Amino acid sequence: MSDILLEIHDLHAGIADREILKGIDLVIRKGEIHAVMGPNGAGKSTLSAVLAGKPDYKVTSGSIIFNGQDLLAMTPEERSWAGVFLSFQYPVEIPGVSITNFMKAAINARRKAQGLEDMKPAEFLKLMKEKMAFVKMRAEFARRDVNAGFSGGEKKRNEIFQMAMLDPVLSILDETDSGLDVDALRIVADGVNSLHNEEKASIVITHYQRLLDYIVPDIVHVLKDGKIVHTAGRELVAQIEDTGYDVF
Amino acid sequence: MADHKIEAGHYIPTAIPTDARGIASGESVSLCYTLKEGIEAPAMDFLLMEGASLDLTILAYPGFSGRLLVRVFLCGRNANANLRGAWIGRGSDKLNLDVEMHHTVGSCTSEQDFRGVLDNEAVSYFDGRIVVAPDAAATKALQQNHNILLSESARAETRPQLEIYTDDVECSHGATVGALDANELFYMRSRGIPEADAKALQLRSFLHPVLAGLDVEAREEFLSVL
Repeated sequence: MSDILLEIHDLHAGIADREILKGIDLVIRKGEIHAVMGPNGAGKSTLSAVLAGKPDYKVTSGSIIFNGQDLLAMTPEERSWAGVFLSFQYPVEIPGVSITNFMKAAINARRKAQGLEDMKPAEFLKLMKEKMAFVKMRAEFARRDVNAGFSGGEKKRNEIFQMAMLDPVLSILDETDSGLDVDALRIVADGVNSLHNEEKASIVITHYQRLLDYIVPDIVHVLKDGKIVHTAGRELVAQIEDTGYDVF
Repeated sequence: MADHKIEAGHYIPTAIPTDARGIASGESVSLCYTLKEGIEAPAMDFLLMEGASLDLTILAYPGFSGRLLVRVFLCGRNANANLRGAWIGRGSDKLNLDVEMHHTVGSCTSEQDFRGVLDNEAVSYFDGRIVVAPDAAATKALQQNHNILLSESARAETRPQLEIYTDDVECSHGATVGALDANELFYMRSRGIPEADAKALQLRSFLHPVLAGLDVEAREEFLSVL
């Protein structure tokens, strides 16, 4: 069996009539953490949105194979059930919907798709408790409405909490470091690191080196003007910090 | 947003309906009207004396059509009126909601939050008048009307109308007519919540400010028709 988890081939995609990704090739194997770095407007967020299936984006050519499946043929919810998770750069506030009810809906929808019955309430609450401790969220967190009135750091921790609940195979972190202080950054990074194992992979999308001090990538890509212009090992992070993106 | 404040013109007091329900000084009244198919809308005229308070919620279920008229007269200082309403329109439902909030004396507060969800060919018209009399200083009056259209042929019209005859007021209104937020929907779907369930959660969230104060049973019964 192949150890390739994700294979992106000559991906062209954009929004309305504007092409943003201009031929992306990327292979991610199980157990790997990839960093995608690049200047603003390079297409980093577009790549994450296309992977998660955001409807506004149109793929004009190319393919994405995830775990042997044609990812582009799947709806966002089907991608989630298959094990793709996107941590949003700007998590959405949903007042009136508690985190408990939100996660219950998410978990049971996946179980239904897998032909399983709803998770037993006691089992669900135990899972919630365990994962909340994991991102150092206090007990009242479960009763709060999804992201409503959360600080920037709380929103990002909530993303990692949801990631822990859903236990994805492929995690995509879109600028998860933006707006985080050092403590929150560490909690987020610890969470991502401890969820990682040899069967999983992560894509860490970021503008800065900061997060990559805590989540150490195996492979680093520079994305510029819709293309991956350079790929190297983790030493590339320090080089970018020195030279910026202009040299690529 | 357009300012609907009427600059010129003379203040003409509106006659208080003789059968308006009076709420005595210091009294608090809390009412919830549930409107369903075939139900005739009740008269909703209220007269509030000093320190009186009115808490009114209107829930209109799919199948209800008709005209609702709510008139509140704040006639004693420190009176407080809190009006909320939610409606779910389907098929060819047609709802007219006229609200008149009369601040006839000062130091009173009023809040209004009306929210509609309209599908198919359903139509709603909201006319919200706030009248602040020349002597009604230190008035606080807020009004919100928001509408979500779930189909191309559904329609919502909203006409806020502020008639303010004194300077010492805090008055604001907000009105929107739109579709469900696409980013919110994508967020939920990316967590594995199927599109239809995600939309129901979005509507629950949209109606939350109106329904939050109700008891769980009434709230869940109303939301179950989404």
